[in-house]
Amino acid sequence: MKEHLKANLGGFFISVTLIDIAIFILGGLLEPDMRFGYEAFIYPIIYGVLGSLPGLVMYSKKELTIKQTIVREIIQMLMIVALIIAFMFGRFKVVPDVIPQIIGVAISVMVIYVLVHFFSWLIDLKTANLMTEDLKKYQAKVSGK
Amino acid sequence: MEITVKKIGDDQKEYIEIGCYREDARVKEIVQFVRAREGLLKGTKEDRQYKIALPDILYIEAVDEKTFIYLKDDCYESGKRLYEFEELLASRSFARISKSVVVNLMKIDSIKPSLNGRFSCILTNGEQVIISRKYVPDIREKLKEGAL
Repeated sequence: MKEHLKANLGGFFISVTLIDIAIFILGGLLEPDMRFGYEAFIYPIIYGVLGSLPGLVMYSKKELTIKQTIVREIIQMLMIVALIIAFMFGRFKVVPDVIPQIIGVAISVMVIYVLVHFFSWLIDLKTANLMTEDLKKYQAKVSGK
Repeated sequence: MEITVKKIGDDQKEYIEIGCYREDARVKEIVQFVRAREGLLKGTKEDRQYKIALPDILYIEAVDEKTFIYLKDDCYESGKRLYEFEELLASRSFARISKSVVVNLMKIDSIKPSLNGRFSCILTNGEQVIISRKYVPDIREKLKEGAL
């Protein structure tokens, strides 16, 4: 559980950074003249928390296979898309003008989700390389080379 | 049979070499004896019991209340539980890497990242076994300590 929380926390911080970038790009494209107050700074954090919730809820003590993990990740991503869209657009009537925004947000969430996993994988790659280095030293020491 | 014992430097790997006309039962017995000095486990295959040398084991896996010992080309069943192997082999080059696997660290070729914070051990025979997230800190520590 501790390791799961650690991984989610790491994912949260990567998400907040990427959400910031996505708001900057999407906002610039869809609503370039919009102006915000200080409350705008809290939104990436709220979206980051919303994005981390399914991961915390869907914690499994079971060791999943690669196939099960992929299915779980897809379900988790769709849950995050639904949560964020509900949070952003839930209070508005769905009119044709809002649909491009909903699609834009959904695509952004999916891209961010994939990028979070990509960056986490890069961090894991560095860890794996360090472990392999230590492993080789360990094997050399044990075999007396 | 002439026996020669040669002292070698600390920087070299210890070895035993047998010069023989053919690898007959007598030679196999000597090899088995030497291997036994490195540690043995008991395993069964097709109702016959075998002694398995520790350096030959790739990993030990628990599947549905049964425990299997995997070698390069063979697989043996054992009556022992996985936690017993974990305790028994803790001081050797073995480590628990998931709920169901104890791996021989000397048989890992490399470690690669897998999905969801897990890692994959590529074994010397090309097989892959997963290090689950929970066991990553322990493995890192064991490797680091052992590498020093």
